[in-house]
Amino acid sequence: MPTSVPIPTDVINWEILSEIVSMDEDNPDFSKELIIQYIDQAETTFAHIEAELDGSCDLTQLASLGHFLRGSSAALGLQRIAWACERIQNYGRKREGVVSGQEDDAHFAGLIRQTLEQARLEFAAVRRELSKFYHTQL
Amino acid sequence: MAEDISNNFSNTKTSQKTGSNDFVRKLFKILEAGEYTNIICWTENGDSFVVLDTNEFTTKILPRHFKHSNFASFVRQLNKYDFHKVKRTSEEKQNSQYGEHSWEFKHPFFRIHDEQALDSIKRKTAVQKKIVLDENTVLVKQSADGSAIEPDSATSLILNNTVSKSKFTQLKRKVETLEQELQQIKNENYNMKLGYQKMQSKYNTVLESFLTSKALNDSLVNNFNILSTSLSQQGLELPQGLNFNLASSTNAQSPRKTQSPEFSSVVPTQITLQKPNSNVDSGPSSTASNDIIEPPVLRPGFHVLLVEDDAVCIQLCSKFLMKYGCSVEVVTDGLSAISTLEKFRYDLVLMDIVMPNLDGATATSIVRSFDNQTPIIAMTGNIEDQDLVTYLQHGMNDILAKPFTKDDLHSMLIRYLRNRIPLSEQRSNTASKDDQTPLAEENGSASLISEEPPLKKQLI
Repeated sequence: MPTSVPIPTDVINWEILSEIVSMDEDNPDFSKELIIQYIDQAETTFAHIEAELDGSCDLTQLASLGHFLRGSSAALGLQRIAWACERIQNYGRKREGVVSGQEDDAHFAGLIRQTLEQARLEFAAVRRELSKFYHTQL
Repeated sequence: MAEDISNNFSNTKTSQKTGSNDFVRKLFKILEAGEYTNIICWTENGDSFVVLDTNEFTTKILPRHFKHSNFASFVRQLNKYDFHKVKRTSEEKQNSQYGEHSWEFKHPFFRIHDEQALDSIKRKTAVQKKIVLDENTVLVKQSADGSAIEPDSATSLILNNTVSKSKFTQLKRKVETLEQELQQIKNENYNMKLGYQKMQSKYNTVLESFLTSKALNDSLVNNFNILSTSLSQQGLELPQGLNFNLASSTNAQSPRKTQSPEFSSVVPTQITLQKPNSNVDSGPSSTASNDIIEPPVLRPGFHVLLVEDDAVCIQLCSKFLMKYGCSVEVVTDGLSAISTLEKFRYDLVLMDIVMPNLDGATATSIVRSFDNQTPIIAMTGNIEDQDLVTYLQHGMNDILAKPFTKDDLHSMLIRYLRNRIPLSEQRSNTASKDDQTPLAEENGSASLISEEPPLKKQLI
């Protein structure tokens, strides 16, 4: 039982992002700079998660990293990344991915590793779409 | 010459009629004869006599004229005839013309050249208590000398009395001390009981008033629901969510009834303006009916503290806030939030929950120990019921679910800041009164109430 929460259809929730983009009117590159900042943050966080998985594999720490990136992803309307981050957070807390109740930490770490790969795919999709939108290679 | 006197004495002894005071007459004769003036003599006034040298007296006079073997025995005999030792202070003793170690004795009828008066001197018949009291010093001295004491029943009685008396006094003092201590402890115990009862009654009062206000709320909500049902039955269109609004507003207000008078008198404008409007979508009460029509007004100039650790969220949120005319200050963890709120006041606090150093809920509960006024809104992506309850129990006023839109944020600002005057403007008008006093007054009295409004809201 991976999760009962379905992944959003669209990579970007434009209702949310449009609102942010609309703030550009009094500060031209506001939304773009915010996106660039986010991209940097996401790459760093993915690297942290991977390092944690390869290292001490502390589930609490992994959940916390998932939570962190989930917040900014959701704030920008990057809903599929946010979804993946929420899964990482919940696997780290052992709130999802429980089948028999006998699973060890490695089981959840495995789920997190899978989800991290999915998050990276979603991230790549976001970059493509936003690069198109801003007419810049992001 | 000595022989003459000796003869003289013996003559007297034989010729005397009153044999009852031989001892005294013997002593009188010796003094009158003046043979031993360097040992015993009348004083200048002649109403008392002095033994100048007790050693000489003991060795020379006692063996020859008296049957007493020591001076103490002689003194005791004097006492039996009601002679009194003339007491002198140590200074008087030193300055005495008769020498430091002289003993002066006195009897009202024992005077120089007055043999007649001797008839009035009689041996005391019974042991009187007076002796014990007056001659304590002499008696104690005797026993301390360890010298032989006549096996006199009176004496032993006196001595026994003296000893037991001192022991008795000692014991009595001890008992008195113990009694005092007992009384002290009784008093302390009583005070503690009193304090406990006071606390108990205070607790009961508080509990009672909470229950009363809860009952009042329930009946108000019921009445309102009946009213709104009947109104809608008569074809009046009611704004959506009205039931909920009233319930939340009454519940939010009711705890204030239990608060101290100072609290409600200082803060009322702020509370009443902000609480009844806790749902932006409509004007909850009849007095606020205008608000349904007129769009809510948010004045510019509110100072907002944003507590958030995520750079993207900080940028976004502060951008939104500035768009609504707020000035924003950012801190990135719970500890900084507490220290900032200790030093400065804000119209509103937006607080992330999951943060390094200290989470937002815990930070809020600490802030609530010194600041009950400032609205603190939780910003969180965890919108599970149990989490929400926890946030409210920690003293947070409301929850802004992440991700939120500009409108969500605006709704929240309206809910808590509508019709309020930014602190920065209040400050310039009313100096520091509004900023400082309510905080100080709340510290003691209202800490219990701090968590009530959110709790009440959560119950709806």
